Amino acid sequence: MVDKSKVPMPNRERFLAVCRGKRLGDVPIADWYNKYWAETPAVWVKQGAPKEILTAEGFQSYFQLDHYQSLQEIVACVMRSDLKEDPEQPGSGYYLVTPPVVPVFEQKVLREDGRHRVETTYGGATVEVSKEHPLAMPRYLDHPVKDWASWREYKKRLDPDTPERWPRDWEAYVARRNSQDAPTLLMLSGFFGMLREWAGLERLLFMFYDEPDLVEDMMEQMLYLVMGVAKRALRDLRVECVRFWEDMAYKAGPLISPAMVRKFMLPHYRKITDFLHSQGIDIIHLDSDGNVNELIPIWLEVGINFPWPLEVAAGMDGVALRKKYGKDIILGGNIDKRAFIKGKDVLREEVMSKVPYLVETGAFFPGIDHSTPPDVPFENFCYFINLLREIGGLEKLPE
Amino acid sequence: MIDLLGSLAQGVEKGDDKQVVELVGKALQGGTVAREILEEGLVPGIQALGQRFKEGMAYLPEILVSCRAMSRGVELLKPHLGGADVGNKGTVVVGTVEGDMHDIGKNLVKIMLESNGFRVEDLGADVVPETFVNAVRDSKADVVALSALLTMTMVEMPNVIGALKEAGLRGKVKVLIGGAPITRQFADEIGAEGFAEDCASAVDEVVRLMAL
Repeated sequence: MVDKSKVPMPNRERFLAVCRGKRLGDVPIADWYNKYWAETPAVWVKQGAPKEILTAEGFQSYFQLDHYQSLQEIVACVMRSDLKEDPEQPGSGYYLVTPPVVPVFEQKVLREDGRHRVETTYGGATVEVSKEHPLAMPRYLDHPVKDWASWREYKKRLDPDTPERWPRDWEAYVARRNSQDAPTLLMLSGFFGMLREWAGLERLLFMFYDEPDLVEDMMEQMLYLVMGVAKRALRDLRVECVRFWEDMAYKAGPLISPAMVRKFMLPHYRKITDFLHSQGIDIIHLDSDGNVNELIPIWLEVGINFPWPLEVAAGMDGVALRKKYGKDIILGGNIDKRAFIKGKDVLREEVMSKVPYLVETGAFFPGIDHSTPPDVPFENFCYFINLLREIGGLEKLPE
Repeated sequence: MIDLLGSLAQGVEKGDDKQVVELVGKALQGGTVAREILEEGLVPGIQALGQRFKEGMAYLPEILVSCRAMSRGVELLKPHLGGADVGNKGTVVVGTVEGDMHDIGKNLVKIMLESNGFRVEDLGADVVPETFVNAVRDSKADVVALSALLTMTMVEMPNVIGALKEAGLRGKVKVLIGGAPITRQFADEIGAEGFAEDCASAVDEVVRLMAL
């Protein structure tokens, strides 16, 4: 008798089937859920990995990962392929994070010393960058939105119809993207994370109390942007999943209260997710680090059903979430990055305590709980991939 | 007067800085001693908010507006405290360890410690061990609080502890650590006396470490 779960299936269809819990026992090992720091492949090459992993394509091919494509050329999110990193820097799969402004601000160095460089960003912020780790998250020194006046200027760069926001040859772009058999993610901005990029966390948190109308106006503008982008993109492109970026939690919980999320964010989320549902998009992915346990039920109310990366150090537990929400929720990540560092025994215990149960109950995309840092040994990452393959009944890759 | 100080505590707890300024002014005009206004009005307010935060009943915006209200009240009291250092319970050096540029958590710890009467020396982010050592020595710090957000950089924490030992300061200062990947177990492994999950528990840990 043929085990149907092992029958190959086109990549897009398989992604949808896994999300809908129809491929029980399937272990999708995807590049999107096993990303890595820009520095990581170069460190691994020094540990004996082949040089082919230095490119995103080579990395995917070497580890035989399923490929999921994101529409990062469409600027309504945090990634900009045209603003790719300094080509002299090693690594791959890395894109500068910037708010979705068009045109971008001029990037310039303001001052530097032996260890640090202070510069302005494409998003209009001023940051301090470590020269030793230039691709790591910088320290924010200043943000462009300070009050109503600066916001009114800034929002001029957040128009969905600005021609430069879109690939120049739209028809060719659509044809190329639609012809690929890779699940496709449209990347949209959320209603908290990006406001934090504009105003800075501390100022934004004060604004919720001091200037709620300004917060509301920023969220309205974001809705106008993402709705405009989604309408045009979905008219022509085949999209399986929409992804919002928020990063609105930390180790102890959300950065704002669930009551504030309901009051300020939920009405905007409802409008965009209602539209997405009307277009047949029912896989809505949300990227937020930290402990999001209090936010998940609120997100589910508006159809945001795919939280990632479920950081273990922040107390996120995929098994508990599956037991609580059943198949209403799609899960991704949740393999503790610290276990990758501690060693194979600890990593095996971590994987075996979650992956068999979660793949058996369906709608799970295993992966490290955020990008793989360079202190994860190459050998341990290979071991992890092979563990997943073993669980999925696939032949092991050479270690 | 008890009602006035009680209202003041409530004003701090709910982050109403205008109310706090008004009530501190009234209390001073009414002849209440500044130290009493501080210790029986402002401090109970910030402590109550800290407790609500630890219980999951308040979040970071509430922490920020409460600390701001506290700070505005303290500013009004300063001239009336006879030159005494306002509620100086001790000195804490804070910083994010070398290689790590994250500073949001560290900044929140600083805000909470200051609001709870500690003097804080903030060294910023990406701080090398030598800078921690010099700051601890120069400020005669009671506690040094180290932050790290990454698995890559949490390994710098034992280097700071090692540098403090080498400088002969380890017996004079307690070490508190925190950050996304940090656990109590890790604190124990590297010989840090304190570990904090968040900015409110950082205050509790400093109080515990100083046996206040």
